[in-house]
Amino acid sequence: MRRYLLRRLLESVVTFVLVTIVVFLGVRALPGDPARTLAGEESDPATVAQIRHDYLLDRPLPVQYARYVLKALTGDLGRSARTGLPVRSTIGHALPVTLQLAMFAMVIAVLIGVGSGVVAAVRRRTATEWAANSVALLGLSVPNFWFGLMLVLVFAIAFPILPASGFVSLFDDPVQSFRHLLLPAIVLGTALAAVIMRQTRSAMLEALSADYVRTARAKGLGGSRVVLGHALRNSLIVVVTIVGLQLGVLISGAVVTEQIFVLPGFGKLTLDAVFTRDYPMIQGVVLVTTTAYIGINLFVDLLYSVIDPRIRVGGAVL
Amino acid sequence: MTVLDLSTVEAPAAGTLPATRRRVLRRLLRNPLAVLGAVVVLIAVGAALLANVVAPYPYAQTDFSAALQPPSPEHWFGTDYLGRDMFSWVLYGLRVSVLVAVMSVGLSMALGVPLGLLAGYYGFLDPPVSRLTDTLLAFPFLILAVGLAAILGPSLATATIAIGIGQIPQVVRVTRGETLRLRGMDYVTAAIAGGASDTVVLRRHILPNAMNTLIVQATVAAPAAIIGEAVLSFLGLGVRPPTPSLGIMLASAQPFFRDGPWMAVFPGVAIVALTLALNLFGDGLRDAFDPQESRR
Repeated sequence: MRRYLLRRLLESVVTFVLVTIVVFLGVRALPGDPARTLAGEESDPATVAQIRHDYLLDRPLPVQYARYVLKALTGDLGRSARTGLPVRSTIGHALPVTLQLAMFAMVIAVLIGVGSGVVAAVRRRTATEWAANSVALLGLSVPNFWFGLMLVLVFAIAFPILPASGFVSLFDDPVQSFRHLLLPAIVLGTALAAVIMRQTRSAMLEALSADYVRTARAKGLGGSRVVLGHALRNSLIVVVTIVGLQLGVLISGAVVTEQIFVLPGFGKLTLDAVFTRDYPMIQGVVLVTTTAYIGINLFVDLLYSVIDPRIRVGGAVL
Repeated sequence: MTVLDLSTVEAPAAGTLPATRRRVLRRLLRNPLAVLGAVVVLIAVGAALLANVVAPYPYAQTDFSAALQPPSPEHWFGTDYLGRDMFSWVLYGLRVSVLVAVMSVGLSMALGVPLGLLAGYYGFLDPPVSRLTDTLLAFPFLILAVGLAAILGPSLATATIAIGIGQIPQVVRVTRGETLRLRGMDYVTAAIAGGASDTVVLRRHILPNAMNTLIVQATVAAPAAIIGEAVLSFLGLGVRPPTPSLGIMLASAQPFFRDGPWMAVFPGVAIVALTLALNLFGDGLRDAFDPQESRR
């Protein structure tokens, strides 16, 4: 167990180092003087000189890189070229918006995904399974941002019952927050639901044919007790890890959703940074997401190995 | 799943492949959904490639007297805020979708297949290739696209590269898995014992037999690429105006939700039709290649 832990930790560190190198070199790959780029287009020579000094741009690349990583590790991601505010606090202000959206979306995704996955597995070779599979296929074929536009068209324009844009924090006004986040959360949630549905279905199919389910049935337990109490409980292990690994989809989805519904979150911040060529902000945003991604991947892997001993013993899971 | 693929054991050489192909085709034709998917894909791709012949109007032709008209016999999909014919626009937009899909899937295959072959065949290359794919996987698709758009500027090429790179890990994973499976097969062992060089084994014995899986992978990747292009162009990270893209059309429809909702409807319907058809065709193809696996 300890060996497996160590190996996964080491692998994650290597991946993290590679990611920071890619991000670090990315900014240096920009055309022109990096100091001028980092300072923003309309900056005076003094600022540019200050930045060149701050970022050690007059020193060799390895020195620059070491300095960059050390500063990033202490949470110093530089200042926005557009607003002059620290990148870290700007991201800190945007994250709660995205987290509230993500939590809400996750609830919707799990309700739809696990629900329809269980139904599809239990009602095999019936119209119900066919319907559940068709909806999942449709979910994979309908671009999420277009689904979002259609929801706005129907529920905010044709029948104006929900707001089309804006954000209210859950802690300020729960009712308004719910109304503002409902459509975005449906858009983001359904993006995840299709994947969760497929995973739940195949995990349930496997569980339902397992010996312990047959034993439970032989003991005389009723259909729903077996399905919910035994099969689903064991399938959820797989589902939970899948949900964890969907972070990338969640982040990409948040960028699109926040753009459609004009939510001042992490995704909107990311896009605005690109359009205003705010390079320190882009660098910070990319570093924060990739680090979170590696961290959560590691956490999910470890969680999985605690739950399922075959993984750390065999080590040959393809 | 340890179902022995008899066709590859009996007849691994390329010379007998047509018989297998015919069997696959016959199974494919028996699946009505797959045939429907293939027909829709062929019509959509054909219309897109022949857009300059098929489209009733030049896509850039503006006509302010006919701005924001709902669908009619003259304008099947209505007109946009500049009076441009939406049907013609959609056809030209599909052309960009198809172009980006073909190029990005080609890019991911060109880089991913060799990496997967090497990682699966040479054990010592597995860890470095895994770290490389892990690194790529750490960049969520849109964050990767954001980074590339920041460096290269938003364009058709940027969208293609972002989508292509984003799909590399999946191609590597699939190719590596197939290589590992095939390397353990008797005919490969026999070829190696017979003195075949690594290059010959990889090119003549492993790659051709991994082809089915790679084709299925491409049918999964293509619809994802089409949606990817639309998303990137919608956000302003991909194709830029005046190049017609379905994503740009949807972005420009947003201010006209009240006056011209059809502007937001038809480009999306076109994307859904094409991706759904590709997914149906891909599912059918997977079943036709490997009936046992899919009947599970």
